[in-house]
Amino acid sequence: MAHPDEPQRPLTNAAADDAPGVASAGHPSLEALAVFVFALAVCVVGYLAVAAPGPWFPNVSQKGWAARELTLARGAGTLERGELVLAANDGAGGALVTVETDIRSADFRAIAWEATDVPEQADVRLVWRSDYAPGKLNSTPIAVASGRLLPTLVSSNPNWVGRIRGLALAVNGPLPRRMRIRGVVAKPLGAAEVAGDRVREWLAFEGFTGTSINSITGGADVQDLPLPVLTAAAVALAALAWLGLARYRARAASLPAGLAILFVAAWLLQDARWMWDLARQARVTARTYAGLGWRDKHLAAEDGPLFAFIENVRAKLPAEPARVFMSADEHYFRGRGAYHLYPHNVFYEPYRNAIPASSRLRSGDYFVVYQRRGVQYDAAAQKLRWDGGEPIAADLLLNVPGAALFRIR
Amino acid sequence: MDGLKLFAGLLLPWLFGMAVLAAGLRARNPLDAPGEFAWIAGAGYLAGAFLSTLWMRALSLAGVPFGILAIGAPLLAATLAAGYFAGRRDSRRLPRAALAALRALVSPPGLEGTARLAWRLLFAWIVLRFILLGFEVWWQPLYPWDAWIQWATKARVWYELGRIVPFARADAWFAADGAAYFDASPNYPPTAPLLQVWACIVLGRWDDALMNWPWWQIAVALAFAVYGALRTLGMSALGALVVAYLVASLPLANVHVALAGYADLPMAAYYTCAVLALLRWAAARDLRDAALVALLALACTQVKVPGLAWALTLVPGVIVVLLPRLGLKIAAAGLGAAIFLLTVLAQTSTKILGYRLHLDFEPAWQALGESYFLLGNWNLLWYGVLAAAVLAWRQLLSPTLVPLTVIVAAGVVFLFVVFGFTNASAWVTDRTTVNRATLHFAPVAAIFAALAFRAFALRWADSRALAAVPAP
Repeated sequence: MAHPDEPQRPLTNAAADDAPGVASAGHPSLEALAVFVFALAVCVVGYLAVAAPGPWFPNVSQKGWAARELTLARGAGTLERGELVLAANDGAGGALVTVETDIRSADFRAIAWEATDVPEQADVRLVWRSDYAPGKLNSTPIAVASGRLLPTLVSSNPNWVGRIRGLALAVNGPLPRRMRIRGVVAKPLGAAEVAGDRVREWLAFEGFTGTSINSITGGADVQDLPLPVLTAAAVALAALAWLGLARYRARAASLPAGLAILFVAAWLLQDARWMWDLARQARVTARTYAGLGWRDKHLAAEDGPLFAFIENVRAKLPAEPARVFMSADEHYFRGRGAYHLYPHNVFYEPYRNAIPASSRLRSGDYFVVYQRRGVQYDAAAQKLRWDGGEPIAADLLLNVPGAALFRIR
Repeated sequence: MDGLKLFAGLLLPWLFGMAVLAAGLRARNPLDAPGEFAWIAGAGYLAGAFLSTLWMRALSLAGVPFGILAIGAPLLAATLAAGYFAGRRDSRRLPRAALAALRALVSPPGLEGTARLAWRLLFAWIVLRFILLGFEVWWQPLYPWDAWIQWATKARVWYELGRIVPFARADAWFAADGAAYFDASPNYPPTAPLLQVWACIVLGRWDDALMNWPWWQIAVALAFAVYGALRTLGMSALGALVVAYLVASLPLANVHVALAGYADLPMAAYYTCAVLALLRWAAARDLRDAALVALLALACTQVKVPGLAWALTLVPGVIVVLLPRLGLKIAAAGLGAAIFLLTVLAQTSTKILGYRLHLDFEPAWQALGESYFLLGNWNLLWYGVLAAAVLAWRQLLSPTLVPLTVIVAAGVVFLFVVFGFTNASAWVTDRTTVNRATLHFAPVAAIFAALAFRAFALRWADSRALAAVPAP
């Protein structure tokens, strides 16, 4: 069916398929796939030429030091489950983590500190000393991205000479939350190593988190070469190659079919990565929830203790929906607690840590507290107050560490 | 037993919608025409699910409590009546079309050799994806943030009370003295929560994992609808399957199935189907397709607040279909007027659909570029859209493509205004909303890329054929 303004014509792809040149080309799919693979290889080699400017096949392999081999020379922290965890601080003094090394600077072109929960605005520096000038401390800034430290290319630094006798990580400025360090790796940046790093980044398991609904990275949090960029570049290059080949063989009519195959091949490649991630996620979800009923699933979920507490609260509430005020310092607990309380008529502040004035509550209302500072109950006088406001008469119905339920008189 | 009840209960709106659409088919578009059955299967679910929620709203207005009988019996009766009507008019074709559609899944007619193998592999790949997503829906209790602060809150209350009760903002909640409920977004429309309510009603209990199966159904229905509509618009079977696969495999859309509970995927599905129905109407001028466009556009407004804006982006498409000669100028003038109006309103800090307009033009290009081109949200969608638009730039305003082109242009303008001129620009930087808002539009963008590319391929073939004709 054609538009009224157009002459009748077939809309199927048969027009393209039957065009001169395509029929004689046979199935262009295998050729297009071969061109795509070739273009992908060219793009990878081109990337390696930039990312691994030194020898592609170095004599040494990368050398790493685990968290237990690190020394906390300044600041506070502990070793927890194979990670050196720096305590949060207000920035006074900062933190310095050191490790004794003995490596040839010429063999290693980059240093990668493996750390997470690094503040985005922190001033983080790589520090080292060498036998060339033992008394001199050299340093260079380390870039932070998505709470992680990016590898630092040191080979072009004029002070990266001789044998490197010690490496250190200096964190200046406040640490609003704990920072975790798994270790440090000296990298020769050979081609195989760089390529391996990229493949590991693409295939890193990206489990579902609270932010997955908004955005997914597509592998590791930080990637030097995102897979979409590589595959798009490969498609573009392959398309040009395909066009050249088609013109050379006088088979230009096969261009659209070739382009379509190139694009779908690149899409499939990325989709295979995503499906692998989905399959691993399904395994994780199955381990946590498979075979459980609705209640048990919630008890197994990350807010299980809150759910268990709210179940106890619900047991104390009347069968008919009552007005319930939910309070907690963390807005996750406020919202999640309220959710578990429905169909009672729940009120809470979704976006700020506040509780309505006591004058707005009335007799028969219920008041739930979960890990909330500033709420006080005078058991003798049976008076409840919060945030320094006016007290209100209330009965304590449930009291567990850090949480309670009251009924307003 | 739970699984059986749920299966039967969730199948009912699907069959209901399919029966209604099948009953409305005209003889020129028989069920066994290429893609027709798939289109009815896809658009049918979306129509049926939305009509079911309208019925639930009507019951609530009439004071009839929710229950399997109150909701399910009339739906079943309507399904049987519409099915009987469709079968009586087309008794030989109905079973034949259903069988042919099933057979075509594994052995599509007209495909042989490599193409048939590619079809089977691709189809199996799509099935595997929906199996994996089904596991997540089956096991994972309600997880993402907004789902439990503003959507399932309503579902829980309405399910337990057996009727729709109002949700109100804080002051109104205090004033109502228990007559109204409260959550983080009390003004949000009720369609998505009512889908969850129906799932719980057929289960007979509250279950915030299993109640999310409609999200899985929506994703499957969307794939069917895309395939079916493109087939009815003349695309080859393999080509249509590839486009359906592109839509079904958008990573962020998959996340919205696995972590179900947000209204963004339903919004995307209803909007996409409305656009597809409009394209069918543009091609065949069947008023029943136009009626479906109206129904699905109405559904858009009842799924999410921005659904009104998305529904309005269909208007330029309708105009260029109705007025082929002047339509493009009118649509361009309307679009320009809308941009001018928004610019004027931006000086007053007006709030529209929850977005506060302001004059500062601060698009976060870098964050937007990362989200679209570097991260894993969209596979290669935006590369493909740009490439197809460039390749087919001469055909974008051709009579067959222009309705879709102006709809896409309106959609791009809407997203551009939202992310460039409103407080939402901050949500681009922190990536809380940019991808979810884009999700509404992404399947349409994929379809646009496919149809634009097809237009390019046809022109390319025409030009080669002309070149091959020897000069007289």
